[in-house]
Amino acid sequence: MASSASSIDTSPARIQKGVAPLRAGQGYSFLLRRLHSLSGIVPIGAFLVEHFISNSEAVNGVQAYNDQVKFLTSLPFVHVLEWVFIFIPILFHALYGIYIWYRGESNVGEYPWTGNWLYTSQRWTGIIAFIYIVYHTYNMRFTGVHLMGGGYQYAFSKVWFDFQSPWTVAFYVVGIVAASWHFSYGVWLFAAKWGLTVGANARRKFGFVCAGLAVLLVGIGLWTITGFTRTPADQVPWVEHD
Amino acid sequence: MANSKTVIIKIKRQQTPESKPYSEEFELTYRPGMNITSALMDIAASPVTRQGKVTTPVAYDSNCLEEVCGSCAMLINGQAKMACSALIDNLKQPITLEPFSKFPIIRDLQVDRSVLFENLKKVKGWVPVDGTYDLGPGPRQSAEEQEQAYPLSRCISCCCCMEACPQFNEKTGFVGAAAISQVRLFNTHPTGKALKVDRLQALMGDGGIQECGYAQNCVEVCPKDIPLTRSIADVGGQVMWQAIKDFFRT
Ligand code: SF4
Ligand code: SF4
Ligand code: FES
Repeated sequence: MASSASSIDTSPARIQKGVAPLRAGQGYSFLLRRLHSLSGIVPIGAFLVEHFISNSEAVNGVQAYNDQVKFLTSLPFVHVLEWVFIFIPILFHALYGIYIWYRGESNVGEYPWTGNWLYTSQRWTGIIAFIYIVYHTYNMRFTGVHLMGGGYQYAFSKVWFDFQSPWTVAFYVVGIVAASWHFSYGVWLFAAKWGLTVGANARRKFGFVCAGLAVLLVGIGLWTITGFTRTPADQVPWVEHD
Repeated sequence: MANSKTVIIKIKRQQTPESKPYSEEFELTYRPGMNITSALMDIAASPVTRQGKVTTPVAYDSNCLEEVCGSCAMLINGQAKMACSALIDNLKQPITLEPFSKFPIIRDLQVDRSVLFENLKKVKGWVPVDGTYDLGPGPRQSAEEQEQAYPLSRCISCCCCMEACPQFNEKTGFVGAAAISQVRLFNTHPTGKALKVDRLQALMGDGGIQECGYAQNCVEVCPKDIPLTRSIADVGGQVMWQAIKDFFRT
C-alpha cells in the first residue's frame, strides 16, 4: 500500500518460529479489512435499516405494505441496485468475515471478559444472520411469486403464508435479533477502529447508543412480525400455490 | 510442620525447544507474601516433586522482581500475568504455570519474545536523534503532553497483551497492541513525530493494525495499565487518514 518513496523497513523476518513480525509495506489486508468494516455500515447497514422501516408498513395493513413494495420494486434500475448495493456487498462481507473468523483464535474460556465475549458474539451473530439472509433471500426473492413487475400485490400474502408455520416465525425472530446485534455492535466497532471514539468514556457512551439502536431494531422487527400474525386470513389476497 | 499450610503448583515443563512437554507437581511450604517467582526460587532450592522424585530446577525468566523489567510473564492459572507480582494469596489452588502459548519455547517457562523487538523495529519505535554532532536540547513538551505520554512509556515489553489477544497468532501475524501503543507514544513526541508517516505506513502492512478485532483482552491483562484500546483507536484513526492521503496524493 505504501509508496515506494517512503523508507519503511521491508526486510525479511529474522524470526523463524512462532508468530511472524509485522510485514510493513506488504499486502492488501489493510484495504480489505477496512472495506469489510465500511461495507457493514454502507451499503449493508443502511439497507438493513431501510428494510426494517419499509417492512414495518406491515402493521398498517395489507394495502400499505403492498404499496411500499410497489414503490421499492419500481425504483429505476432496480436489478442493478440490488446487485451492486445489496447482494455483492453482503456476499463480500459474509465471505471475508468467515475468513476473518477462521484467522482469529477465540479465547473466552481463558479470558471471560465483556469485550472478548462481544468479539466472539460478533462472529456467531454474523454467521447466524448470514444463514438467515440466504434462506430469506432464496425464499422471498428467488422462489415463489415474483414481487417485481406486477407481483407486488401478493407481497403481504407471501410473507403471511410463510408465517403460518411457527418455526418460520421463530427463525425470523432469531434472524432479526442476530442481524440487529451484529449491525449495532458493528457500528460501535467501526467507531472504535476508525478512531472516532478514541477515549474510554466516548466508547462507553457510544456503547449505550449502540445498545439502544439494537433494542430499537429488534423492537421494529418484532412489531413488524405482529403486523403479519395479527392479520386474519380473510384480509389476505389469495396466492396460487404450485 | 505437619499442620502448616502448603501451596500446590503444577508446572508444564519442556526440556528443549523441540522436545515433548510434560507436567510436574510441587508442594511448597506457605509463607506470607509469597509470589510465583519466590515459589519458583523455593523449587530451585530443593527441586523435588510432590511425589518425592528429584528433578531439575524449573527454568524461568526474572530480573527486577518489581514488575518493571517485563521478563517474568507466563500463563498463571491460564492467564497471562507477571510472576513476580502474582501473589499466591490471590490465586486459586492448585496453581498451574505454563509458558506463553504463542511464543517459541526455550525451556520450561522461558519463551523467546523477540517478535516484539522485531515489531518495534518495523514501526520505528524510537526518537531519531542519532547524529555526528550535538543537536542541542529538544523542544519542550507541555505538561498535558507529558501526562498523555507517560502512561504509554511504562510499557515493559512483557508481551502479555499479545499472548491474550485472539488475533495474535501464526495465521494473522498480527503486530499486537504494545507496538501500536508505542507508535502513539512516538508520534506524539515532538522529535519522534519526524517518523510519523513511516510508522503509520508500516502499520498498514499485512499483520498491521487492521487485524485488531477489538476484543480488548490486551487492556485487561496489561500489568502496567496502559490504555491500549485508546491507543488502538487513536492510531487507527491516524492510519486511516494516512491511507486516505496516500490514496489521493501519491
Ligand atoms: S483489542 Fe483485542 S484484538 Fe485488538 S489488540 Fe487488544 S486483544 Fe488484540
Ligand atoms: S503494553 Fe502492557 S501488556 Fe503489552 S507489552 Fe507493554 S506492558 Fe506488557
Ligand atoms: S521480574 Fe521483572 S517484571 Fe517480573
